[in-house]
Amino acid sequence: MSEVRIAAEPRTEFGKGAARRVRRAGKVPAVLYGHGTEPRHITLPGHDLMLALKTPNVLLRVDGIPGADNLALPKSVQRDPIKGFLEHVDLLVVKKGEKVSVEVSVNLTGDIAAGGVLTQELVTVEVLAEATHIPEGVDHDIEGLEVGAQITAGDLKLPSGVELVTDPESIVATVAAERTDEELAEETGETAETEAEGEPAAEAAESGEAAPAESAE
Amino acid sequence: MLIPRKVKHRKQHHPSLKGRAKGGTKVNFGEYGIQALDSAYVTNRQIEAARIAMTRHIRRGGKVWINIFPDRPITKKPAETRMGSGKGSPEWWVAPVKPGRVMFELSGVPEPVAKEAMRRAMHKLPMKCKFVKREVEA
Repeated sequence: MSEVRIAAEPRTEFGKGAARRVRRAGKVPAVLYGHGTEPRHITLPGHDLMLALKTPNVLLRVDGIPGADNLALPKSVQRDPIKGFLEHVDLLVVKKGEKVSVEVSVNLTGDIAAGGVLTQELVTVEVLAEATHIPEGVDHDIEGLEVGAQITAGDLKLPSGVELVTDPESIVATVAAERTDEELAEETGETAETEAEGEPAAEAAESGEAAPAESAE
Repeated sequence: MLIPRKVKHRKQHHPSLKGRAKGGTKVNFGEYGIQALDSAYVTNRQIEAARIAMTRHIRRGGKVWINIFPDRPITKKPAETRMGSGKGSPEWWVAPVKPGRVMFELSGVPEPVAKEAMRRAMHKLPMKCKFVKREVEA
């Protein structure tokens, strides 16, 4: 994976007031730590960082701060839950050739056999890989997978030099049978029954004998 | 319909709707989700209506997750009653939802189908919502 250069500035002001000023200026507060070094508080350009983080486990070369080889991996990314803008980033210092444990996405390709519903239980798997050669994702072909089949983490084909950390027995995806007509009718036609059941409960609630009171005793 | 099996106190204070969701803001189980953009009380009837709207659209395939549970009772005094003489009787069960919360999740269907199913479900909900997809990040 190629590295992305990003210009950083050391951060001297701390606290929410300072952090908000930084964010208003289109920058993102961040911290760089690891390998026994003191944590360094930095500011990164918001737009460049957003573009860089579009690649999962991107290797960043942080320029503009003291230190010989500031290679880092994003360890934790905090985003605004609604707008999605970056609020803070934790960067973990790594060295060339060093093996790091990272989460990589599992991409299932192809279509399963008709009559099945695919449920992906694990979206990512933890792997041990060289910091400079982290795979972007692990692809697995599920073409023609029958009902009842399951894929475990051990079944995934990892690129050379990458080891699996997740338990190989962990289930990544399963194929269940589609709902039958009866099941579908039961699930969607439930309304009439439950509403009919719900009415007396509401009436009972009005008369001061709500179901919860009964069950609470 | 979703309802608590047993409660410690039959009548409670009104749940708070201030602030934003502090958790459950990402799609964790399925591939797609419905995220709340405003705060509101979602009743068990609305949850059920949304679930049925989604299930009817996706037909046989797919799987639906409901990430909220209506565990807070809301009381109401009867009509034309003078004030006083105690708190009204429990009338609804609601889930207090704050902005950012992913309320429903869906998987096992193509994106256009999921989008349409969730659009139908959003019409059953009392707040502005958006369609979100699962993201894999560091």
